[in-house]
Amino acid sequence: MTAPPTHLDVLEAESIHIFREAAAQFRRPVLLYSIGKDSTVLLHLARKAFYPAKPPFPLLHVDTTWKFRDMIAFRDRTARDLGLDLIVHTNEQGRAQGINPIDFSPSVYTDVMKTQALRQALDKGGFDAAFGGARRDEEASRAKERVFSFRSQGHRWDPRRQRPEMWQLLNGRLGSGETARVFPLSNWTEKDVWRYIVREGLDVVPLYFAAERLTLARNGTLLVRDDERMALRPGESVAPKRVRFRTLGCWPLTAAIESDAADLDSVVAETVAARVSEREGRLIDHDEAGAMERKKQEGYF
Amino acid sequence: MTALALARDTEVIDAPTLRARVEATAHRQRATANPSASLNVLTCGSVDDGKSTLIGRLLWDTDGLPADQRARLERSPKTALGTPDFSLLVDGLAAEREQGITIDIAWRYLDADPCRLVIIDSPGHEQYTRNMATGASHADVAILLVDARGGVKEQTRRHAAILHLMGVRRVVLAVNKMDLVGWSQARFAEMRAEFEQLAARFGFEEALAIPVSAVLGDNIARRSPVTPWYGGPSLLGYLGGIPARSFGADGDFRFPVQLVVRAGQDFRGLAGTIASGSVGVGEEVVEPISGRRARVKRIVTMGRDLTRAGPGRAIVLELDVDLDISRGAVLATSGRAPIVTRSIDTRLVWLADEPFAAERGYLLRTATDLVPIARIDVRAHLDLASIEERLASTCTANDIAVARIELGRSAVVDRFADLPGTGSFMLIDPISGASVAGGVVTATEGRKAMEKRGTFRLTRELLARGLGSDLAQADSGADQELRRRANEVAILLREAGVAVELEDAWSEAGIDAAAVWLWLMAVLSFSFVGAVVLGLV
Ligand SMILES: Nc1nc2c(ncn2[C@@H]2O[C@H](COP(=O)(O)OP(=O)(O)O)[C@@H](O)[C@H]2O)c(=O)[nH]1
Repeated sequence: MTAPPTHLDVLEAESIHIFREAAAQFRRPVLLYSIGKDSTVLLHLARKAFYPAKPPFPLLHVDTTWKFRDMIAFRDRTARDLGLDLIVHTNEQGRAQGINPIDFSPSVYTDVMKTQALRQALDKGGFDAAFGGARRDEEASRAKERVFSFRSQGHRWDPRRQRPEMWQLLNGRLGSGETARVFPLSNWTEKDVWRYIVREGLDVVPLYFAAERLTLARNGTLLVRDDERMALRPGESVAPKRVRFRTLGCWPLTAAIESDAADLDSVVAETVAARVSEREGRLIDHDEAGAMERKKQEGYF
Repeated sequence: MTALALARDTEVIDAPTLRARVEATAHRQRATANPSASLNVLTCGSVDDGKSTLIGRLLWDTDGLPADQRARLERSPKTALGTPDFSLLVDGLAAEREQGITIDIAWRYLDADPCRLVIIDSPGHEQYTRNMATGASHADVAILLVDARGGVKEQTRRHAAILHLMGVRRVVLAVNKMDLVGWSQARFAEMRAEFEQLAARFGFEEALAIPVSAVLGDNIARRSPVTPWYGGPSLLGYLGGIPARSFGADGDFRFPVQLVVRAGQDFRGLAGTIASGSVGVGEEVVEPISGRRARVKRIVTMGRDLTRAGPGRAIVLELDVDLDISRGAVLATSGRAPIVTRSIDTRLVWLADEPFAAERGYLLRTATDLVPIARIDVRAHLDLASIEERLASTCTANDIAVARIELGRSAVVDRFADLPGTGSFMLIDPISGASVAGGVVTATEGRKAMEKRGTFRLTRELLARGLGSDLAQADSGADQELRRRANEVAILLREAGVAVELEDAWSEAGIDAAAVWLWLMAVLSFSFVGAVVLGLV
């Protein structure tokens, strides 16, 4: 036998298994592609699962119109280079109403531009299952999440309808009106994701690497103003700082961290020595206590 | 000279202690061999035994905890002993206890040298049987936590019974709160003896008792000087030395096919995860239902082809001839063949809130197959307190039942004790899709067994030669006619009291599955087959 498997090999095989089970059991799956590091790993694993064929499902990006420009460029390049079918969906009613992350509370904004947008896109495409990159280590309320997570009519997450999962057996038989979310990265940690990116030599959005960027200090966090839509308040100014991002989302809601980690190895080193938990950088999570729990019930990942 | 040292000099080494020391040495040697890359650890215990504290302590002592959480804990209220309250690291989940997930097991990940530990925490409250069984199905090793002041209680016995049922073969008894019994060697020895008895009864492969204090950290990450009389490893030391998931590595090859991968004009591969054993390029594989064979042409993964692949690998097999199989099939190599059967004896844990309903028509989910069920006979329940079977005919949530399941068609399985990957299953409610039970195959009513007991097997070949000799070959209408005749013969045989089995290729193609296993009272001989008959009731 060849070299004994490392724990990344174990995780990789498990994720591939999950992809294949879902593809075999669901009628019309879709991969939720959110451009960040987790999505990068998710997509890579999807390609491995069906090689030499292409993944038998499209990618779906819910575009809030507030993503970093670098993210959008990376998204389009990835889909083109890999020859994959990419669906981009924006909640047009939300856009028409001018819902944005600066003037509205994060919970309203997230609900309209992410949660509702996702539901619209899933309904429109007739998708009965959606792959997501959520991990159980991300946040306490996810520690009990299933690999196949079921949503009843209207995409609601009902705790009582979640199915026990035993051994490697994944049950994807849908009850009427049900759809599923599938999480192939359930057992990965943030460190695993980075280690795997290094091991597989994967490309990620450059925002993960430190560079001098124009930053704005607001509410105790550092923001990078990606365009002019965010007006400066009196007394505020932008200043160049060496920063990078640990997670990527809508730029007015994503805090940068000061860092010198400008390449993969130093990002991994920094992550492994992580001083704070990952979600500290996501402003929506601080909105209200228990916010995550509620968002999940409403259909946001 | 201290009293402690004196005590050691005059220590009488009893047999279990000696064994623990020998084990500890073996453990050290093993640690250098090939430790598991990733280990799933189930934690179980009764409320207040200190499970949250223990898990928190493991997080604290390994490198699983970001510094902000560390700092927050240092600022939080201390325990009575003045230590940080490690249970707070775990109680972040408290809010969810009320959210009412039917089965809730929580997963945590920590990087311990030399391996990833995945802590699977199943709550110890009243619904523990189904929770624990679910958690145990994923576990390589279980930690049974007990309070040193309480002894090995009935609860521990129940837990051991569930672990045994779910195939967990390594069990650690963590005797916690040793600080509260003055680190009494006698107390520990007593509990270890009780535990060893229990372990012997269930035949665990490894059973180790460790004296610990979760709150103080003794014997958790490191051997503690307060237990000089204990010769074994610390808890993390033990876990870190457990060898890579061994079962199946040199076992029989089983490859449940997940799906067929087609690419371009020529490529047709079978995608799946190797459940056990290994396979190499050039080796012959067999599909047990049809008995058809082929050789492995390529073992494909993205990036590179492999020459050989072992258990747990997710691969695509390209064969030299097309076996015309798809999802649900299981490939094997020479060696012990998988069992092709329509009847399995099982032990199962009822998971659903809704009780078992005989008329419900459940589906059997094996590794990758979904098989209609003709009938389920619940025969007994396992009483966890006495570990004895009691007659029963139905089951509700948390029951562990002994049941025979008759399948509507043949499925490929193994006995769980031989190969867990192909010997476990779930029962699915066909309407709601819910997973209502999980179980293991304990015995099967295989083809061979039935033959010995007087079952007559009607094969296509047999009928084609005589009764069907007037029909043209390779004509689909003729095939249908032959099937019809086969069915009629089966009915005649059944009425004559002969147990009949139809060849699989046929029954799947349309003969009523219920006409397959037929046992009748009368005994008659049938001239052209000369069947020997045993009445089976
Ligand atoms: N003295 C002592 N107390 C402990 C120890 N482990 C846990 N405890 C205490 O026992 C109580 C129950 O612990 P906890 O971890 O919450 O128990 P759980 O219900 O099993 O999760 C708490 O007050 C702990 O501080 C130990 O090793 N020694």
